[in-house]
Amino acid sequence: MRAALTGDNVRAGLIGGVVVLYLALVGMIERFQDRDVITGVIGLGTLLILIGLAGTGYMASRPPKPRSGQEPVSANPALKGLVAGAVAGALTGGVILVLELLISAGADVRSVLASVTPGMLSTLEFGLGSFGGAAILVALGAALGAGTGALRLLSDHARDTVTFTVTSLLLMSLLEPILGAVLDGLGLPERWLYQGGGLTVLGAILTVVIAGTARWFWKQREPQRKEAVASMPADRRSLYRKLAVFAAVALLVVLPWIVGSFISDVLGTVGLYVLLGLGLNIVVGYAGLLDLGYVAFFAVGAYATGILTSPASYLVREEGQLFAEKGFTNFWVALPFVVIIAIIIGVLIGAPVLRLRGDYLAIVTLGFGEIIRTLVLSDWLSPYLGGAQGLLRVPPAPPDALDLRAPQNVYYLILVFCGIAAFVAWRLSDSRVGRAWAAMREDESVAEAMGISVIRYKLLAFAMGAGVGSLGGVFFAAKIGSIFPNSFGLLVSINVLSVIILGGLGSIPGVIVGSAVLVGLPELLREFAEFRLLIYGAILVAIMILRPEGLVPNKRRQRELHAREFELGATAPDEATA
Amino acid sequence: MSHLLELEGVSKRFGGVRAVDDVDFYADQGEIVGVIGPNGAGKTTLFNIVTGFYSPDAGKITFDGHNLVGLKPNQITKVGIARTFQAVRLFGAMTVLENAMVGQHPRTKAGVFGALLHGSSTKAEEERVQAEAGAALDFFGDRLSPRLNSLASELAYADRRRLEIARAMATEPKLLLLDEPAAGMNPAEKDGLIELIGRLRDQKGYSIVLIEHDMPVISGVSDRVVALDYGKKIAEGTYDQVAANQQVIEAYLGKSATQETP
Repeated sequence: MRAALTGDNVRAGLIGGVVVLYLALVGMIERFQDRDVITGVIGLGTLLILIGLAGTGYMASRPPKPRSGQEPVSANPALKGLVAGAVAGALTGGVILVLELLISAGADVRSVLASVTPGMLSTLEFGLGSFGGAAILVALGAALGAGTGALRLLSDHARDTVTFTVTSLLLMSLLEPILGAVLDGLGLPERWLYQGGGLTVLGAILTVVIAGTARWFWKQREPQRKEAVASMPADRRSLYRKLAVFAAVALLVVLPWIVGSFISDVLGTVGLYVLLGLGLNIVVGYAGLLDLGYVAFFAVGAYATGILTSPASYLVREEGQLFAEKGFTNFWVALPFVVIIAIIIGVLIGAPVLRLRGDYLAIVTLGFGEIIRTLVLSDWLSPYLGGAQGLLRVPPAPPDALDLRAPQNVYYLILVFCGIAAFVAWRLSDSRVGRAWAAMREDESVAEAMGISVIRYKLLAFAMGAGVGSLGGVFFAAKIGSIFPNSFGLLVSINVLSVIILGGLGSIPGVIVGSAVLVGLPELLREFAEFRLLIYGAILVAIMILRPEGLVPNKRRQRELHAREFELGATAPDEATA
Repeated sequence: MSHLLELEGVSKRFGGVRAVDDVDFYADQGEIVGVIGPNGAGKTTLFNIVTGFYSPDAGKITFDGHNLVGLKPNQITKVGIARTFQAVRLFGAMTVLENAMVGQHPRTKAGVFGALLHGSSTKAEEERVQAEAGAALDFFGDRLSPRLNSLASELAYADRRRLEIARAMATEPKLLLLDEPAAGMNPAEKDGLIELIGRLRDQKGYSIVLIEHDMPVISGVSDRVVALDYGKKIAEGTYDQVAANQQVIEAYLGKSATQETP
């Protein structure tokens, strides 16, 4: 019993403590403390500490994995959580105490650890001074660890309700910029709910009560509800489905007028990533070709739009008369040409890498992405592409009367583009072409043996991905009005890839959710901005461990991933050993 | 005399190893040919050459009037040769029905525009693909048809082997190459397999070449047996003739063993 309580739990506690300390020392806790979760009660920094300690307890209290030849020794999860939480608190408190003592002894700690500010220390000490702070950290760690450990003792139903309630509280607070704007937009008073960037005490209590009871009863009724849905006649069900789709579309249409222009602008950026994600999803999610240079097609779309429409571009400047007469400088006329150019370049980039698989393909496409960026920066092409000065004065999409540069109007432009891209992706995935891609993704050689021309379908995937991705570039150019090489760095490729992995490879709703989480949230939570990549990394690692199929998985992939867990050891050997 | 599949003097070398060495081989319309030989005898290499995964260093391969040398695997499937793999290689993340539907690929032609517009001809083709795939699965009685929407990776082992054959059938081949179809099967399943291979020929009219280590299966289905060793053809004839061949016995048991036992 004693051995079961120390060992693993102490280790979990040390890990938890290191995580909390790390967050503090990179400055995240202090920066987050500027943001209130519940105004006047708790800041985001403090909450982060609490989540760290509670999470330690929750992880430590996981039921032990059965090991062969040995009865699993299982201690009370609350006790395990208590030990781990207390250790995490003690480690954090201890290090903070040492730092305080060093500072009071006159050591210049900040020359080494720049983030050790009085504000950070006071947040971690809960304003109780160095010894009081250390003590409260141990006590809080023990209490939170025991509390989260005790969650393991509850029924699934109760635990689900608790986690849902806590998550809702957090989301309600973090989404203050959106929800506040929505209340504003609807002309409703918001002061009872939000104040100074966080929830009011009343708002917090309401959230907990409403979310908790709603979730409790929702889960309680789940079996009956499922049965009701299952027994529903097919035409009724399809009617409900149509209504749901209609409601979603209606919401998307009125959204910008509810949330105002700032959030509409953010939605535009989210939409841009949805578009790029849908395109990359064809290449990576459907055809299984890991493309790390996807930004190339984004750049091609933007530059092609600029060259064809901007009065500052070489083509329009020199051949201006001809172009203007034929109406070529019109955005809508340029659009199909841009897509065709992108498809051609997609095929050109795809052709040399056709014989490469997996890792090699990824590295080569990475190179292509950089080549495109270097090309647009080069002196050689600068007379045509503007070099580092960029390509300016790209006109917005006509007609001018619609003012397709104002955030709320441009939102509709991207909505239409996304709609088209989603339709293309959906139709392709559910067709002979989609099946061929899926087969190729699963096993290239067998796909070939089934009569699928791997070369043709790889090129097709690159071409389709390029076409959709170029729409992102078109939109970007028309929205921003100026194009600079810096906008097309490697980070764009990585962001888009993160979006589709987070959302779930091969899933169209996943792309939307992935963009909202990875692109939308950081725009709204300015406090997060400087830690964006750190949070990206942490989220991706967590997702890959906890939910490898992504947030809104492609059903198939989800089943497959879980089927593998389920059948481990139960399968016959794949190859005859005779 | 024109054979359905004919190989003349086919050789394939990997570095210093002659995996297939000057092999003549044929299969006639409606014939079931068994290929036996110890591990490393070049049997699977022979299949890989016929199906275009390897190109032969020397020799001629003709099938149904087509010269196969230089064709890609997908083109060879299109002219009418389908195969299964030694280690079952299904599309695990696709359903049973979808696996079989992929087999219809070379017999259909909807492209990107067909997929996007989804016009009446595409719809009709999709329906036909489903029907053909369903028919291939129905050939296995109640083993695959009730599991149309299961993932291939969720199937029991013997059913995976069956699905691999169904997927090959969906390509509407004239010649079916089966690479160790009985591997990992229990005796009852092997009996089922023998019956199945017979039905594939009698009802579907396929010619079949199978690689197999299991002698009861080979003797149960083969019209003719070819034995390979070290890439060379060492015997050919009925099962009984080949089984009695001294070189074949030596290849399986080793030279010393045959000399010690009088």
